[in-house]
Amino acid sequence: MLSTRTSSSVTLGTAAGEGGCARFAVPTTPQPPSPATAGAGNYQLALQQLVDSALPTGAFAHSLGFETYVDAGVVADEAGFGTWLSAFISQSLTYSDGLAIRFFYEGVDLEELDSLLSASLLPRQVREASLKMGGRLLEIGAEVFPSSALELYRDLVTRGQAAGHQPLAFAVVARSLGVPLQEALAAYLFATATSLTQNAVRAIPLGQNAGQRLLRQAADGVAAVVEQIPHLTPDDLGAVSPGLEISQMRHERQRARMFMS
Amino acid sequence: MGELELVVAERMGRSFAAHQFHQGALRVLRPHYLDDSGQVCYVVVNPGGAYLGADLFVLDLEVGDGADLLLTTQSATKVYRTPGSFAEQQMTVRLGEDARLELVPDQLIAYREASYRQRTHITVRPSSSLVMAEVVTPGWSPDGAAFRYKEVRLRNEIHVETEEGSQLLALDNLLIRPPSGDVTGLGFMEGYSHLGSLIVVDLRVDQALADHLHAATSGHQALTGISLTRTLAGTTGLVLRSLSNSTGELNRLLGACTTLLRKRWYGQEPLNLRKH
Repeated sequence: MLSTRTSSSVTLGTAAGEGGCARFAVPTTPQPPSPATAGAGNYQLALQQLVDSALPTGAFAHSLGFETYVDAGVVADEAGFGTWLSAFISQSLTYSDGLAIRFFYEGVDLEELDSLLSASLLPRQVREASLKMGGRLLEIGAEVFPSSALELYRDLVTRGQAAGHQPLAFAVVARSLGVPLQEALAAYLFATATSLTQNAVRAIPLGQNAGQRLLRQAADGVAAVVEQIPHLTPDDLGAVSPGLEISQMRHERQRARMFMS
Repeated sequence: MGELELVVAERMGRSFAAHQFHQGALRVLRPHYLDDSGQVCYVVVNPGGAYLGADLFVLDLEVGDGADLLLTTQSATKVYRTPGSFAEQQMTVRLGEDARLELVPDQLIAYREASYRQRTHITVRPSSSLVMAEVVTPGWSPDGAAFRYKEVRLRNEIHVETEEGSQLLALDNLLIRPPSGDVTGLGFMEGYSHLGSLIVVDLRVDQALADHLHAATSGHQALTGISLTRTLAGTTGLVLRSLSNSTGELNRLLGACTTLLRKRWYGQEPLNLRKH
């Protein structure tokens, strides 16, 4: 079963002369998890560890652009941060992270997805955040959830053939643990929303209960985009809204800042 | 429908069209030279005046080694209602060694119930120089309300080609889909109506240039962000994104950037297309 997959490489690649139209073929059967660590249903605790905010990827150091709004006084309370988080979930997390995870699960070439993320994360700090947290995830993963697929990604990064992005590092580990796509998406997106909310609680600051109310609201947003992500197309990968992106770029020039992005 | 092919080459310091072909509703005006730099200027014309549903416009450009092309449009790109389908422009661009392209089209206006997809696939060499600027308006509808179009999708891919192969430097993928929710507020258009973009790919792009462009744009009535792509084969991309409330203000802001680049890198005067 595994050998049939290696021969059919799926690509999002674009061909010159075709106007940049992304080509895409979805394999008919989902990718089976790596046999070394597969165990249907046995991934629950591993997944909890993987998305726990205690996992030391350094997420506490990144606002992914919301600090720019805080600095400008545009986001100053629970409602303001809720609006930002909802936009961030339905844009960045959907079209970049979420879609990259889905395409990896569907067998799209990892090196190509890695390159697409490096190219589409145009704000430098956000690109660097993805690589920093991705690098930590690759390290931690190698120690606690080793798999041949993870080694392969680490090798690509070591050899400079891939950069090592956070959503892809997560996807590689999650799939090797046998986590189904929908659960992997929901867990990753909600974990990101959680760390951003915790950061907002410290930075704005907000009350602890406000943080919990925001997370409850974010859960609905995450559930909605987990439904939406399977219907997106290769052309959607990396789509951004101008506002979020501009704020991520402007963060580079903010004088006093708590966060690296 | 329309198709346009243009190959620009250089001979003794002067650029010219070595090949051109057009079919359907796309053509170029006679070339002109705005200064004595040898840069040739072509103006793309859509005699139909607009893009309609299921329209496909294909542009294929090649700027050969050492050649220098300034490409603009005669007027705004207007996309009218495209019921049940979308209008599409596919552009493929190849830049040779030391080739330069300045791509400065007029603004895009998507009318009520319009869907528009623009895909641009650019391949540069590490020594090529690319500057492209673009303005997207909130569109137009009879009742005066903004953002009544269905979808505007502008997708630019920029690849760097070397002897070792081709690598993706930047994927600039803009998607505005007003029916999917409020696109005007926080996280989307931030209360502004117009969007401007500038992409520069050149060996000389660095943080100092980003700082200069930041200074050149900071006096405008606009919310602007600038950042750099990763560096591939020695060349780097700079992306500027700006939100404002008029095409005029964004054209002045983007003009300040192209003016700075033209002067600093080529000793050229500010761009003055005198189209209108």
